[in-house]
Amino acid sequence: MPSLNTFGAIMTFAINLENDLVDYYRAVGDTERAAEADKRRSNLERVRRENVVEITLEAIDGLDEADYAFNFDDTSEAGQSAVETIAARFYEDVAPKINVRQAQRVLSRYAGQHSGLANA
Amino acid sequence: MVRKLKNYIGGEWVESTTDTYTPVHNPATCEVVAEAPESTYEDMDRAVQAAQVAFEEWRRMPVLNRAQYMHHFKTLLEDRFEDISRIVVEENGKTIDEARGEVRRGIESVDYAIGMPFLMRNDGVEDISSGIDETTIRQPVGVFGAITPFNFPFMVPIWFMPTAIVCGNTYIMKPSPQTPLSMEITYEILEELDMPEGVVNLVHGGKDAAMAMMEHPGVAGVSFVGSSPVAKIIYETCSRNGKRVQAQGGAKNYIAVMPDADIAASVKNIVGAAYGCAGQRCLAAAVVVGVGDAYDKVREELINQARNLQVGYGLDETTQMGTVVSDAAKQRIENMIEQGVKEGASLDLDGRGIVVNGFEGGSFVGPTILSDVKPDMVVAKEEIFGPVLSIMRADDFEGAVDIINQSKYGNAASIFTSSGKDAREFKYRVNAGNIGVNIGVAAPSASFPFGGQKDSFFGDLHGQGPDSIEFFTERKVVIERWI
Repeated sequence: MPSLNTFGAIMTFAINLENDLVDYYRAVGDTERAAEADKRRSNLERVRRENVVEITLEAIDGLDEADYAFNFDDTSEAGQSAVETIAARFYEDVAPKINVRQAQRVLSRYAGQHSGLANA
Repeated sequence: MVRKLKNYIGGEWVESTTDTYTPVHNPATCEVVAEAPESTYEDMDRAVQAAQVAFEEWRRMPVLNRAQYMHHFKTLLEDRFEDISRIVVEENGKTIDEARGEVRRGIESVDYAIGMPFLMRNDGVEDISSGIDETTIRQPVGVFGAITPFNFPFMVPIWFMPTAIVCGNTYIMKPSPQTPLSMEITYEILEELDMPEGVVNLVHGGKDAAMAMMEHPGVAGVSFVGSSPVAKIIYETCSRNGKRVQAQGGAKNYIAVMPDADIAASVKNIVGAAYGCAGQRCLAAAVVVGVGDAYDKVREELINQARNLQVGYGLDETTQMGTVVSDAAKQRIENMIEQGVKEGASLDLDGRGIVVNGFEGGSFVGPTILSDVKPDMVVAKEEIFGPVLSIMRADDFEGAVDIINQSKYGNAASIFTSSGKDAREFKYRVNAGNIGVNIGVAAPSASFPFGGQKDSFFGDLHGQGPDSIEFFTERKVVIERWI
């Protein structure tokens, strides 16, 4: 599995994750959660665009996509909780690795949102 | 059939009058992605004439309206952000993150230009003498042009053009023939703005087109970014032809690492500064000066971190270092590494011969480290413009400053330290246009002037910031007395 070793790799993984969640919650029939995921996706695209600081781009280590294996086939309540738990862990893990405060803030906020959904 | 690029002159995409075209390569895939015309004097003359005609109407347009075009420009650039970034990767070879960072910094120059209604204001004094008022006004000058390099094919052109045109001038861009595609998409976007024809023009080409711009009597001023020998020629040629000129040249940027620096964190940033854009930026870290005890620690940490960088195709998000711009550049860089070894440097990390799966023909040079470099070695003095970092030793702070100030270049220099006193002395004494404190790439934002000292810059007014407004306007003093 590819490593999450750059700002772009992390942000793109997050964008794709939220995109997958849009499809997932649409399949479940939860339009509210699908809309929330789509809003996060859109905001993450903005964050990737506006917070990439060319002069402080640094290699990132210690993160791997393999550590965040989502089962989008399980649409049960327990399955949804499991997906949200992994999503929350992903955001918790990556936020401190990003050296741009504005991006870090958004990623931390999304960790909280997913954690809340996992426990809902 | 490979696409032949056209020039954009007087609001139209037109074919060059030349029969000679230069192939534009993707340096990773080796694919020829387009052919750029070697535009002629006739092409440039046509662009100058279109810009001169446009100037008469454009300068009369209120500055607020001119700035509005930049609002729209910014919106469209944001919309096409990923498209432009991908094109930068495809023609230059840098990573997609680096390309996104470049496009972001380019857009910052558009943001700056949007502020021109405020920034162009000048001052006045009532009753400077009895019953006499005196005011200063800024006026646009005419047709300006830029000759820009391959290493930042989007950002560097955008340093100049937005400010120039919002000041009321008209413009001609001549991008690098190696990387002309970023400007092609930029001009497609500019076309959507529906500005008056001739305000912005694009003329592809190499030396002939550049000479035509510099010698044309209708061009008021030229901005250039490139190597120092060429910058000097540009400066002399433009000066001889009575033009304003700002010519930014090459660099050999030194980084002093003090014993009190946080070595791991400092090296992480230095690695980004040395190998970002495969070392092909005028602010790249080229020489690390390890001071006292820091030398061994910084050398060891640099080797550890640099050898782990993932080299690959820039469009792969996991790539941490892309290609250099061409096979010729690769050959030149590898020759410089060999030169360093012959002169007695220790080759701690050798990036030559690196092969990337799926891109076997690509112009890759891996991260390279030469240590025990001495001040008289060529690799210590001359710009390599590739992913090669030299490490030198200094006994103390004074020795580090002496080494740095001996360089014929003065683009940037940085210090990594936790001592405010050393940081202040460094800022005070080092002869470079851009000083970094605990940051390896000392790149000024769009609202600050960008330019070096010594052989890194030829001219008076730097690019970006308030200097750019001075460069692109003429000040006129009005003395009024009503009798």
